[in-house]
Amino acid sequence: MEHSLILFHDNRQIFTSDEHWLYPLFELEAYLNSSVIPVGELFLRDKIAGKAAAALIARLGIRSCHIELLSERAIPIFEQYGVQYGYDQLVDHIQCRTEDLITDKMSMEDTYLFLRKRAGKVQGTTLTIDSLTVEISGKRILADLCLEIGRGEQLIIQGENGSGKTTLLRSILGLDKALKGSIKIGEEFVGSSEWLRNRVQTGYLNQESIRNNFPITASEVVAIGVSGIKISDSERDYHVELSMRKTGCFHLQHQMFHQLSGGEKQRVSLARCLCQNARLLLLDEPTSYLDEKGKDELGELLYDLSRNEAPTMLLVSHDAFWTEKLNWHRKTLKAGKLW
Amino acid sequence: MVELFTYPPILKGFIVLILTGFAFPITGVYLLRMNLLPLRFMLMHGAILGGALSLAMQVNPFVGTMAINLLLVLLMTRMSRSLKTDPGQLSAFFMVVSISLAFIFIYRFQVPAKDTLSLMWGSLYTLNNFEFAGILVFSLLLIVFQGVYRHQLRAVFFDSDIAKTSGVNEPAFYYAIILITAVTVAAAMKLIGALLLDALLLLPALIASYHAKSYRGMILWSSFWGGLFATVGFLLSLALELPASSTIAAFASVVFLILILSRKK
Repeated sequence: MEHSLILFHDNRQIFTSDEHWLYPLFELEAYLNSSVIPVGELFLRDKIAGKAAAALIARLGIRSCHIELLSERAIPIFEQYGVQYGYDQLVDHIQCRTEDLITDKMSMEDTYLFLRKRAGKVQGTTLTIDSLTVEISGKRILADLCLEIGRGEQLIIQGENGSGKTTLLRSILGLDKALKGSIKIGEEFVGSSEWLRNRVQTGYLNQESIRNNFPITASEVVAIGVSGIKISDSERDYHVELSMRKTGCFHLQHQMFHQLSGGEKQRVSLARCLCQNARLLLLDEPTSYLDEKGKDELGELLYDLSRNEAPTMLLVSHDAFWTEKLNWHRKTLKAGKLW
Repeated sequence: MVELFTYPPILKGFIVLILTGFAFPITGVYLLRMNLLPLRFMLMHGAILGGALSLAMQVNPFVGTMAINLLLVLLMTRMSRSLKTDPGQLSAFFMVVSISLAFIFIYRFQVPAKDTLSLMWGSLYTLNNFEFAGILVFSLLLIVFQGVYRHQLRAVFFDSDIAKTSGVNEPAFYYAIILITAVTVAAAMKLIGALLLDALLLLPALIASYHAKSYRGMILWSSFWGGLFATVGFLLSLALELPASSTIAAFASVVFLILILSRKK
């Protein structure tokens, strides 16, 4: 087979890919998303397939395929989702770390999200903090703090009031200067000229926005996300509408921001971050001014965000009850360090 | 009344007042939003220092006032940002420094105090060609600045941290806003005087803030009210043979009062 992946419709070759690993299947996903061909009528030929490829093939809705080198671990997935398969050679397993990382406990959607993150097919970027020390007015707030968050992952940082949670976020944003240590977002060190050029990749939901009483409409707030880049008004409107629709607040576009409920304000603020295409999202006590309904809505919104665009998210909060419901990884900030 | 416009000083005053009437309230929005109200008092006192210095050195007081005000706002902003001190507190400090230096100059160089303080009253009909052209050009530049950078300004006014994280060069815009405020106050003092300049600067922005529902609306309504106050106030002053500046301020105040009372109901 000259290509790594070939797709047929009515015995006619309609798509090929020469990429490696899972990338041909992600390319195929993009192709199918833009076409109107009934997926059930397609036939796929692939060079190698293990658990991961089988999950992606099944999720795409393809019902018939031939794999040159097939892992036995893929067969239960094909059978579970009714995918007819053929192969040239069957092996116990294929040498691929990804296959080992997919557990039986993972649902199809969890597996898909996991594979997207591994393939870098999520909006999120990495965050690496090394020996960060920050002093404010001579008082040491953060001391040799280290943290690593992977692409599209989420982390909650808990801590008492005054433990330095906001200072940590402000340091990541470059708003508070570090006395020592480094912060790296993707490949860029905070404070570097490259970081300054791409500063928009970090979105920020602060507590002050909620209290803001400036006469400004919800859509104007969302448009702030693209105020640092040069785009036409029509492009701006497009990005604003898209982001507001994604967070379910498009109907609020003409309403004054300060007249919205706390939950609606957070929706609008999240839309602002999506509008700026933020790859790292920092949320500072997002439930501070929300009632129970608002908290539930925000939780759902963050869940959707973590499954779809999947930006890397770092949330600081002292609302232990609410953060528990999010089911994200958690760390506690105490004495300037993470535990 | 129409024949009055055949007099160059009146025509010149009318033209400059109409344009500034529409343009200067934009600065009022900046002042309100950035909470820079004490800055006006510093600039008024700075104008007295500028005036005293200019008279002592025999240069155009308008230029001297402008230069001192620009210097003061730059110093104040630099100190406020580097020392992380409230601009209001520093404004009060520079206000005291300015007025003390002004009186030292008045005493030392025997500048007539009356001439210096007369700068506080404004003189719409005594604009020379340089002042006339300067204020017109500045007003047009202010409108262009607002139009071109409206998105970035909106971000800065909403939240300076959010603006920075959205890729806006917030410190540059802050300095620009402060400098524009300094020039606007100096120009407005020349036109309608220090004590009445809020009729052109603040009242239109304040009224707009009560009914505008968006940032765009805030700017447009401020401009509308400022233009209305300037036009109607000027025409009323000619019709009633009253000083232009105080008629504009009185008219603006009446409109403000009516709107406030109707809002309360």
